[in-house]
Amino acid sequence: MFVTDIRKEFYDKVVHERVLVLVAFDVDALCACKILQYLFQCDHVQYTIVPITGRQELENAFLEHSEQVKYVVMINCGGNINILETLQPAEHVIFFIADSHRPVDLVNVYNDDQVKLLMPTTDDFDIPAYDDLFKDDESDDDSGNESDSSAPSGKRRRLDEEVLERRRERRLWEEKRKQILLDYEEFSTYGTSSAMIMFDLAWKMSKDSNDLLWWGIVGLTDQYINNRVERGKYMTDVGDLHKHTLRLNHRNEDDDNTVSVDCMRIYFDEELKLALYRHWSLFESLKHSSYPACKFKMWTVKGQQKMHEFLADMGLPLVQVKQKFTSMDMGLKESFKGLFTASCEKYGLDDISFGSFIAQYGYKNKLCAADVVYAVNGLMECVEAEKSATGYFLEALDCLSRQNVKKLLRGLDLAKRQLTTIMQTVHSFIDMKQIISAGPFLYAYIPEGHPDVKFFSRPNCLGMLAYFMQEAYVATSRSRRSTLLPMVVAAPLNAETGSALVIGIPPKAEESTKNFFGRAFEQAAIQTNSRTLHDNFDTSIIEMKSEDRSKFFDALISLLS
Amino acid sequence: MYGEKAVELIRQLHRSPDGSLPPFNEDGIRQVLEEMRVLFEQNQADVNKTVDGAPGLFPGVQLRHAALERNKRCLLAYMFNRMERLRAMRWEFGSVLPPDIKYNLSEQEIQWFSRYNKSLAAYMRSIGGPSGGGLDLTQDLKPPKSLYIEVRCLMDHGEFETEDGTILLLKKDSQHFLQRSQCEHLIRQGVLEHIL
Amino acid sequence: MFAPCVKYPTRLRENYFSIDDILTTQEKVPCKFQSSVLGLGFLDPGAEGTDLAAGTAMELPYWLARALCSRKRRIVTVEMPKPYREGYRQILSADANVVDLHKLGPYYYAFGIYLQSFGQPDAGEISNTLLQTFSTRFRRIMDSAQNCLNEDTTAVTGKLDELERVLFRVGQEGLTAFHCWQSGQSAKIVPSTMVTNYRKRKRQDGD
Repeated sequence: MFVTDIRKEFYDKVVHERVLVLVAFDVDALCACKILQYLFQCDHVQYTIVPITGRQELENAFLEHSEQVKYVVMINCGGNINILETLQPAEHVIFFIADSHRPVDLVNVYNDDQVKLLMPTTDDFDIPAYDDLFKDDESDDDSGNESDSSAPSGKRRRLDEEVLERRRERRLWEEKRKQILLDYEEFSTYGTSSAMIMFDLAWKMSKDSNDLLWWGIVGLTDQYINNRVERGKYMTDVGDLHKHTLRLNHRNEDDDNTVSVDCMRIYFDEELKLALYRHWSLFESLKHSSYPACKFKMWTVKGQQKMHEFLADMGLPLVQVKQKFTSMDMGLKESFKGLFTASCEKYGLDDISFGSFIAQYGYKNKLCAADVVYAVNGLMECVEAEKSATGYFLEALDCLSRQNVKKLLRGLDLAKRQLTTIMQTVHSFIDMKQIISAGPFLYAYIPEGHPDVKFFSRPNCLGMLAYFMQEAYVATSRSRRSTLLPMVVAAPLNAETGSALVIGIPPKAEESTKNFFGRAFEQAAIQTNSRTLHDNFDTSIIEMKSEDRSKFFDALISLLS
Repeated sequence: MYGEKAVELIRQLHRSPDGSLPPFNEDGIRQVLEEMRVLFEQNQADVNKTVDGAPGLFPGVQLRHAALERNKRCLLAYMFNRMERLRAMRWEFGSVLPPDIKYNLSEQEIQWFSRYNKSLAAYMRSIGGPSGGGLDLTQDLKPPKSLYIEVRCLMDHGEFETEDGTILLLKKDSQHFLQRSQCEHLIRQGVLEHIL
Repeated sequence: MFAPCVKYPTRLRENYFSIDDILTTQEKVPCKFQSSVLGLGFLDPGAEGTDLAAGTAMELPYWLARALCSRKRRIVTVEMPKPYREGYRQILSADANVVDLHKLGPYYYAFGIYLQSFGQPDAGEISNTLLQTFSTRFRRIMDSAQNCLNEDTTAVTGKLDELERVLFRVGQEGLTAFHCWQSGQSAKIVPSTMVTNYRKRKRQDGD
């Protein structure tokens, strides 16, 4: 069931108990977890945090850690699967689920005792009515009873008619139910960021601070960067957070009232779609950010020229542009943003900026929310063998704390490597024309021997690659239709077991985040008997045996044509 | 030269890094004792001869006596320094030593360790009088700032029962918020990491 | 910290059980026998016969030389070891900082102090040199100990005598503790160093 008063129905319930917190592998979940940790620490709520990569691990973790645990909080996992059926929990266990994955499983929605959904009621759920989904099971029984009973025949005939009528009704109802379910589960999409929900909780408890707000902001920005939120919804959410920002950073800035530099300040600003430029050089950032790179078609000689022309038009010397942003001339650094946006308009990059936030603390640390998202994600999906995946998850969790700036800086470097790899892969795929229009969708396959293949064995990085590729393809393609095509990208996951990771993303022209690949993948797998694993909480990301790839995609094409 | 074997024992200790104990060198000690026995007997003989009037033996006696004293010092220092390290280990590793360290101890050292354990425990119990319930001196080596702390599991440790009877699974890479007093030992042992 | 082992008990102060002191007194001193020692000829590998003849020159460990060179009865006479003689003293007074003291004797200062007890004519000059050398080098040691964090210091410490190494380490520990405090990490409970070292060694053995 949906929780209406998150404080009363969730927080006050768990405040003196031990809580098991299961956290999925995405930046939003990490931020939400951070906020919740802070709240729990204030109130001495004992908790256990376990990182969760997928459904299987969810089951394992629950089995292992559930002893004597009565309350389980799930962050960005568990919402879209039938929790009670999957985990078979004891009756006293209560689940609190803050999950941005949609659609929410209907059993979770209608279970009043054990499953509590921490999702804002303002979200658009389109939950079908209870009566359309569930019927009390009496009618099932009487068909059985009837046949056994030895009632007189006349009565029986009348009863038979009744039964027939009832059966017909039931069949109709079942068909309708099926249709409703089909419609409800057709698309997978995303709802409000979990970090924002947790921040909301903190605010309602008057425990909000700039740190918590920042995590909320980073959570939302994660959704924006990874295309998990529609533009309109993003604007509304940013508006909400902006109000909080103003409230928490409201100070009379006169001489007597200055804040120490070590305090964190957050302010709203228009941010450029230039990834990490504050920590890179402008030149590199332009090259590696999908929006400007695709606008200029950076992979062509002409595109390169055009970019140089663009820089010249801005009046920035190449030497300045190519050196670290922090070392650029003071004057240029200050006026750069104005110049940049002006030139962007001229060159048709109208969409270069978006509303976002910047945090500043100390003399050195000025971070914009998007950069933090890239850095945290870079750290979380680090492919170095030094630590396990969960180890990097914890590193990523650490780097969100202000005192661990060093880890965040490492994350920035890792993010740069990720972006560089993505950019190079996109360029080579465009050059070699390896992005194929398979008819109903675009398709790209990263071959086994590709040098950077390990980067794309992580879902978020593969997702970024898919979106970049799609944008690049659309930019080069002459056909109008290409904007209407969704895209599927597959990359090898594990050479030993011969498995591949497959992701599907909606068409470029599509405004919403609705993604129909979850169901399509499922169907195609069933039709072809492909060995697939739908382990990710995102249904549009699956694992499969590489050998089954071709038959799977044939089926997918025929399914979607 | 006399005393070389004894100094070798000392060098052995000196070379072994902090927090480890080389195997108890029983053979080396026996050799030193043997050297000392010979020195002593020769001195005894020379002294007897001198009493009987033989001249010029004094320098030799002097030299051997110095060597005897030196050997004694080295042996005692060897035992003493090993004991010191063993005592420090009680505070670092806790009351149970890792098996391969224990393997390097002599029988007497093992006895000494268990007796030290006992008297330390008895002392800690006695603090605060009979009704005080004692005080664990190995805890709160740094002044605690909060009742609860956040910890992260660095290795699979299995199930852990807290004082209030709850059972936790300490699995690698899981993170917990626990009472400080309950997990400080595990942090000292490197099972958990304290997250600030 | 309460733990009963004070960290440098044996390092800075001599006592009967001190390992460093035992090793210091093991350093060799050139000696010359004044009277013959009967029956101990085997101690000098170059000697023939069963006795150590008067006039035999050989290097004896300090503890032995000390015992044989008491004021009452000089069985041997001693000379200063080379690193304490005029030549080296001049080098040290020219620029003490560049000298590899560890090579001159791992316990250069401590041994130098012990040598005073023989009452040699140049004892005063030796002690002056020791003091001068120490004060010249100390500044440098303190500087480097306070200014290299998380770096490989073996190049610096390689040329230090044992006492200086202890000082260097104390300085380094102070520096790390300060940084720890500065970054708010000093309240963090850390695993005992013995345990970490032990684990590290075990891991290396396992590899």
